[in-house]
Amino acid sequence: MTSNNTISRRSPLLIPLLTLLLFGLGFASKISAQTLYVKKSGTKLQASESARSQVLTTLNQGTPVQVVKKGKRFYQVSAGGKTGWVFKFRLSATAPQKSGGDAGLLGALGGRQKIAAKEASSGSSIRGLSPIAEKHAKKKGISETDIKAVKQMEAFRIDPKELDKFLKEGKLGEYGQ
Amino acid sequence: MKKTILFLALMAVILLSAQSSYSFRLDKFLEEVTKPPPEPKQQTSQEPAKAAPQNQPKQPEQQQGGGGLIGLGESLGVFDKKTSNILKQSVGTLQAFQPIGLEEEKAIGGSLAVEVFNKFGGPYKNPVLQNYVNLVGKSVAEVSDRPEIDYHFAVLNTDAPNAFATPGGYVFISAGLLRLLNNEAQLAGVLGHEIAHITHKHALQTLQRGKVLSGLSGLTMAAMDQDNNLFDQIINEVSEVLFTRGLDKDLEFEADKFGMEYAYRMGYHPEGLKNFLKILGKSQRRESSIFLSTHPSPASRFQQLIGLLPQYKGFALYPVLSKRYKTTVQGQL
Repeated sequence: MTSNNTISRRSPLLIPLLTLLLFGLGFASKISAQTLYVKKSGTKLQASESARSQVLTTLNQGTPVQVVKKGKRFYQVSAGGKTGWVFKFRLSATAPQKSGGDAGLLGALGGRQKIAAKEASSGSSIRGLSPIAEKHAKKKGISETDIKAVKQMEAFRIDPKELDKFLKEGKLGEYGQ
Repeated sequence: MKKTILFLALMAVILLSAQSSYSFRLDKFLEEVTKPPPEPKQQTSQEPAKAAPQNQPKQPEQQQGGGGLIGLGESLGVFDKKTSNILKQSVGTLQAFQPIGLEEEKAIGGSLAVEVFNKFGGPYKNPVLQNYVNLVGKSVAEVSDRPEIDYHFAVLNTDAPNAFATPGGYVFISAGLLRLLNNEAQLAGVLGHEIAHITHKHALQTLQRGKVLSGLSGLTMAAMDQDNNLFDQIINEVSEVLFTRGLDKDLEFEADKFGMEYAYRMGYHPEGLKNFLKILGKSQRRESSIFLSTHPSPASRFQQLIGLLPQYKGFALYPVLSKRYKTTVQGQL
């Protein structure tokens, strides 16, 4: 057998078998238990199926949780050794994505790796109007007022406590029916 | 043949050992397999979670790896060079245009946000309204399919009933549109529609199919920095789509579908967006609305949403919050 022999000459079934093995095992692992991921940092893990119950802890974005039981609007989950209830729409079937990229199957097959900063950037780590956007606006003669308006829009923050109070008063989110 | 068996055995052992973890993910595993060797330590450590400072020389966006699963197979003798090249070319074709990264998306979206203020009346300077629209918008965005980015909401100082979204998380609603609404569920539906354009990257998809990016394999900050014309052309093209021509009809219907879904997830009555479309269709001010001229007719959108409603059960008692809407908005417009 020479080194020039192709895989297809050795066994035409090898590639399909290899693919089947990889996907089969990956699929089997996914159905063995349901893992969901926390969408946003600060998500509350509560003692019972109610937003008014004790907050056991808060979970960070991307934390994997194992589903124990599914309720109407809350899921009972275990995470980090604790079991409690989370508003189901604060959980996602997929881990929060890093920006852009093709770090999935195609990237893995081709060995194409992203090395720029954007790969590692989370949404909240890129703040403020981009210098290139500001330069473009000035070149087009757009007034400073409009540029400043975008910067003010970006700088505006809502206190998480105020948001929570807003939801509670409106019977929304975890406070809903 | 021995190498082939060795390769398969290695894959099987690693995969089976990974089964013990419930959170095993094939794509993560493949990333690990294809990870390039660690680079020599540099004097200054880089924090992977932070964006590179703007004044530093840009690194090349991608490097063609000789690695990857295919490369690994080649090095183990499973594939010969020719087979490996054919497989890599096929993967390369599928990778033809890299998704636009968040940094680039925000640069494009921020630039378009400046244009929105410039073309559509500037900011409506009212802290009460700004706070309220942000509260509703951020609530809905948090249960969307892309909650990890920062969303920013602003009110535009124009009587024309308009709403816009630009890539990267910028959402606008005009004072004129706020005047048309009757309750918070309608506002949540409208903002949900705009958020859905961002979560589903509709403007970026359209840009990637357009003429400016044809022939490019990817879009990077480095490329936009080096070629001012490229950024100008990108902004002009997206601006034309968003403010004049409109997105594809199907993308608007998709934004309606997800807009209604996001509002529902947050606990709002899901008929808010549908009921707003009815109001918009009858409005005297519809002629001046970009929201209307660049979108399918309110009647067709209304019909589509009616068709989607049966999937939602037991929402009759979901709040529309008309009292809170009127109390907050009254006297501010």
